[in-house]
Amino acid sequence: MAAVGTSVPRRDGREKVTGRTAYIDDMSFPGAWHGVVVRSPVAHGRLKGRHLDPAFDWSQVVVVTPEDIPGENLVHEIIKDMPLLCDDEIQYLGEPLALVAAPTKDLAREAAGYITFDIEELPSIQTLKEVIAQYKTDEGKLHKFCAQTIVKGDIEKGFEEADYIIEQEYWAGHHEQAYLEPQGLVAVPGEDGSVLIEGSMQCPYFVALELLPTLNLPPEKLRVRQAPTGGAFGGKEEFPTWLGGYVALMAMKSKRTVKLIYDRHEDIRYTTKRHPSWSRYKTGFKKDGAITAVKVEFFLDGGAYGTLSSIVLARGVLHAFIGYRCDNVFIDGRVYRTHSFPCGAFRGFGAPQAIWGLESQMDLMARACDMTPHAFRLRNAVVPGDTTATGQTLAECEACGTVLERTLEKCDFEAKLARCTRGAQDADTWYGVGLAFFAHGSAFTGDGEARFKAKAALDLALDDAERPVVLIRCSSVEMGQGAHTVLPQIVADGLCADLRFVQNPLPDTALVPNSGPTVASRTTMIVGNTLYGAGRKLKAKLEAYASARFFESQAAILKDSVFSAGHDRVDFEEVALAYLKEHGPVRVEHQYELDPKIAWNQETFEGDAYPSYSWGCNVVELEIDRATLQIEVKKVTGVFDVGRVINPMLAMGQLEGGFLQAFGYALLERIGVRNGAYDADRFQTYIIPTMLDAPPFDFEFMEYPYTFSPPGAKGIGELPIDGLSPAVANAIEMAAGIRMTEIPVTPESLFEALRKQVKS
Amino acid sequence: MKEVTRKWIINGKERQVTCPPLRRLLDVLREDLHLTGTKEGCGEGECGACTVLVNGDPVVSCLIPAGQVPDGAEILTVEGLEETDLGRLLQEAYLEKGAVQCGFCIPGMIMSSYALLQRNATPTELEIREAHAGNLCRCTGYVKIVEAVQYAASKLS
Amino acid sequence: MTRLDTMDCEFPETLADALELMADDTTRGVPLSGGTDLMVQWAGGVVAAPQRVISLAGLPELKGITLKDQCVVVGAGTTHAELRASEVIQARLPALAAAAATVGAQQIQARGTIGGNVANASPAGDLAPALVITGGAVVVAGVHGERRVNLTDFFKGYRSIDLRADELIVRFELPVNPDGSREMFRKIGTRSAQAISKIMAACRIRIEDRTIRSVALAVGSVAPTVIRLTELEAWLTGRVCDEDTIAEAVRRTVSAVSPIDDIRSTAAYREWVSGSMIRGFLDAFFNAEARERR
Repeated sequence: MAAVGTSVPRRDGREKVTGRTAYIDDMSFPGAWHGVVVRSPVAHGRLKGRHLDPAFDWSQVVVVTPEDIPGENLVHEIIKDMPLLCDDEIQYLGEPLALVAAPTKDLAREAAGYITFDIEELPSIQTLKEVIAQYKTDEGKLHKFCAQTIVKGDIEKGFEEADYIIEQEYWAGHHEQAYLEPQGLVAVPGEDGSVLIEGSMQCPYFVALELLPTLNLPPEKLRVRQAPTGGAFGGKEEFPTWLGGYVALMAMKSKRTVKLIYDRHEDIRYTTKRHPSWSRYKTGFKKDGAITAVKVEFFLDGGAYGTLSSIVLARGVLHAFIGYRCDNVFIDGRVYRTHSFPCGAFRGFGAPQAIWGLESQMDLMARACDMTPHAFRLRNAVVPGDTTATGQTLAECEACGTVLERTLEKCDFEAKLARCTRGAQDADTWYGVGLAFFAHGSAFTGDGEARFKAKAALDLALDDAERPVVLIRCSSVEMGQGAHTVLPQIVADGLCADLRFVQNPLPDTALVPNSGPTVASRTTMIVGNTLYGAGRKLKAKLEAYASARFFESQAAILKDSVFSAGHDRVDFEEVALAYLKEHGPVRVEHQYELDPKIAWNQETFEGDAYPSYSWGCNVVELEIDRATLQIEVKKVTGVFDVGRVINPMLAMGQLEGGFLQAFGYALLERIGVRNGAYDADRFQTYIIPTMLDAPPFDFEFMEYPYTFSPPGAKGIGELPIDGLSPAVANAIEMAAGIRMTEIPVTPESLFEALRKQVKS
Repeated sequence: MKEVTRKWIINGKERQVTCPPLRRLLDVLREDLHLTGTKEGCGEGECGACTVLVNGDPVVSCLIPAGQVPDGAEILTVEGLEETDLGRLLQEAYLEKGAVQCGFCIPGMIMSSYALLQRNATPTELEIREAHAGNLCRCTGYVKIVEAVQYAASKLS
Repeated sequence: MTRLDTMDCEFPETLADALELMADDTTRGVPLSGGTDLMVQWAGGVVAAPQRVISLAGLPELKGITLKDQCVVVGAGTTHAELRASEVIQARLPALAAAAATVGAQQIQARGTIGGNVANASPAGDLAPALVITGGAVVVAGVHGERRVNLTDFFKGYRSIDLRADELIVRFELPVNPDGSREMFRKIGTRSAQAISKIMAACRIRIEDRTIRSVALAVGSVAPTVIRLTELEAWLTGRVCDEDTIAEAVRRTVSAVSPIDDIRSTAAYREWVSGSMIRGFLDAFFNAEARERR
């Protein structure tokens, strides 16, 4: 019986509901020291000196400064500009200047208090609002990390053809991942100079490979193990590399195991967030609704260093005009520096910021040519055979506008639209409904998967009870999203054996090949397919063995955990045991093969931007209390194509959880930068939704499997966070008759906007 | 600083602790008694990951001074759930309904479920949501947690 | 080890013992009730941790809710959970029951107390508006005896209450909502639950024949401490509750409050919505009264 397509209960669930799962802070490391990070008190400055106060007894602690770094003082991300410990120009408040390890956390903190720094403070630019104001007057003074354009057709010609041209700016703020388990790593030094890093993370090989030049270690001397991870959402993608650097340096110098576990306050203050964005859409279209020109400026606040902003920007510009036809597109993407904590990965990775602008602009265009929001979208929505902004021809396995049609029907959008109050002054409660249609590219951009060459393996071995077991060996992690249930389901089907034979241990870089980082909605689709291939290989290997050993060289076929040849049958377990007895444990490895038809120009951003796309459409119904302007989302309806659904229950959980994060992004989670620091830096002030805030969700899947990579999954992780914000703003306009252009939309911002509207 | 000694019944077993009077109950459980199932998500009573029951009341153990928990108090943590019928029922319901993702909020969340169903075996959806509003989850959108509690309640009646 | 592990705490078993400790400089400490505010502040270093703490948890004299001569007497150690569940509070002080239900979530309500909420003296203290509209008093005690202070006078200013260093809050004496009058409470927080208030308001009002016979109005989180809108109350009393009256009441409310911008909200929004809340109360009472007449 096939495992794929069934709602197998989460395989790590029992350990979690009994409290037995040991996250990094639950593990025992006898004699471990504790580390603290000593940080810059200014947002921008020049570090002139450092003093260890002789009043403190420094023999009881270990202090790490940039001089202690064995290799280059650099964090190896995409843009290589960030030192692990700052030794010259400070670029943000909280930038690490030194590290202290001590037998207790209190002592480490006390010691940190005796370290002082001479800093010459320099002028700083701290927010995207300041950057854009500067950009509009004199951009020469700004520091640009990176830029990327997409050009299709002739934008000027497109505007000439247009009957209408409208232009609007959209803003989105920082967004905190708010995984429930704070960041934490432990480093254990070996006697041979090696280091083991263990803890909460998404990408064990980022830590294992990127720190080598910094720590000046050969690959075999740095081993990384993932511990059970209490949520990540991108927040544990690249940040654990920095944290791993800190904790490894302390362990190497002290020659002791060192723990570095952030509390919530430190975690919110000093870890990466979603990039704030400003986008300006200038679009031209005809009276009949045909879009003729789309010009987008899409700018991100990178924070103080480049980190991985260039690939966030890439995903951003690739989603800045998606899902609709237009022959003339010009997208200008840039990332600028502010002197604030560097921004980083968060579920969606640039796409939510882009789609926030695009899908708001779609409603503006619809209104301008006197069409309904849905009629305007249906008029322009792509179908297989159409080309995207990069010139990619959409294949038959893309649902495209079908999800839009199905959503409209599912929620009876037309009838709801008729009920909207549109700012009526005689209504006590305003009612509105809003729509957004979107896609999310699955896996690495362009031919990234061909260049990366993801590898995964299966080990056939004996478990502790001397029963045969198939162990999944890949670096893709379980962080709550369900990989350790879904990947075994895929392997079971590839192998044609029961799921009970397949186990998925936590990754350890000493044992697993590099299947890549757990990012980019690629795990189920890419790593799943790679493991499916490995399953096929193991199946063939065991069939050949069974044929010789049990069936007198008749061709054997493994199906439903039974090998058969003619009328003879032998159980999987018996064959596997015999094989293991004869040959010992065996490993089969497989490498992902990207569809060779994918052609991509990484310079010009022309060609096939993604192997495939997931598609989504969501409708928000909301009410606004006139007396308080509190916005209550009454219901969210959605339809999604994520390819083949491997585990419906887990997949639905991904949608629901992603949507609630999107809900917070759209309506609650405001965080600003004041005097260089985040102004909401605790769970008391950074407001994520509770069970009473969560609206009802009515979701369904439409399956358009990605046929090139069995079993046909596409990305699911990021899609649900892409489209809620614009649907909320569109619904607010239908309710209150006003266009909100900055998220989160709060009662306060709505009040301000309405007041300005009255004044004008 | 003068330490205090308290005798409690934790998960059905009598335990004696001696600790600083304002030591957080959470630290006594996790560090002194090695009951690490209870989690610290924020340390300021906002996230509910450290929820345990003291004499049947759900409380955030990060805000409770150990000295204020009197002798004889009954404390139930996630580790004690398996010993109770209601606890096992809830654990099965959480698994079957897909209420668990990363799992970090679950040891606190499920204690709130336990406290609710012990007092009210037929809660409405609103009552369920209110009873868990002090437990933040960032993974699930809460839908399947509500379903799990409803499912467990249906098995009770 | 946290900062809390270094602090001393006494656990007196009677109120008299607690007051003895509080009476003397050498034994006095910061009173600790349910700990839901102070533990956060001490652990996080938001305020300096005191040398010594006096735990009030479990003092029998601070417990209990009783109805006596049209007055509800509430012990300072009564928890929010006990307040909201009490039939006496629900029937006789409905605004207070509603306010208690909005404090934190159930885990906080199970520990936090009315005495602690008042002593914490936050401008956003959830119970304060519902308390001051009763016109009641707080009783504080020291070794030399008790002192009764009107609640309105007790809240002196930003984080400041009329409590001497050697005194403890022991109980509240709250006149019941008289027959024929109604109470309402509304809180707007940063989210639907487990929220600190952006603004909240409470009201006790009696309307007969469309005329306001008596009214008490209080707003929280819009000034350094809770404010009772006494001038507005005087102006409203005796007036017919019609649209003109309501509109003028809204104007007067807006000019009576002095909110600030902070992490949770803006001054402009708070000012506007304080007027809306008063409008909402008057509308609701007026409509209810009109329905009854029909």
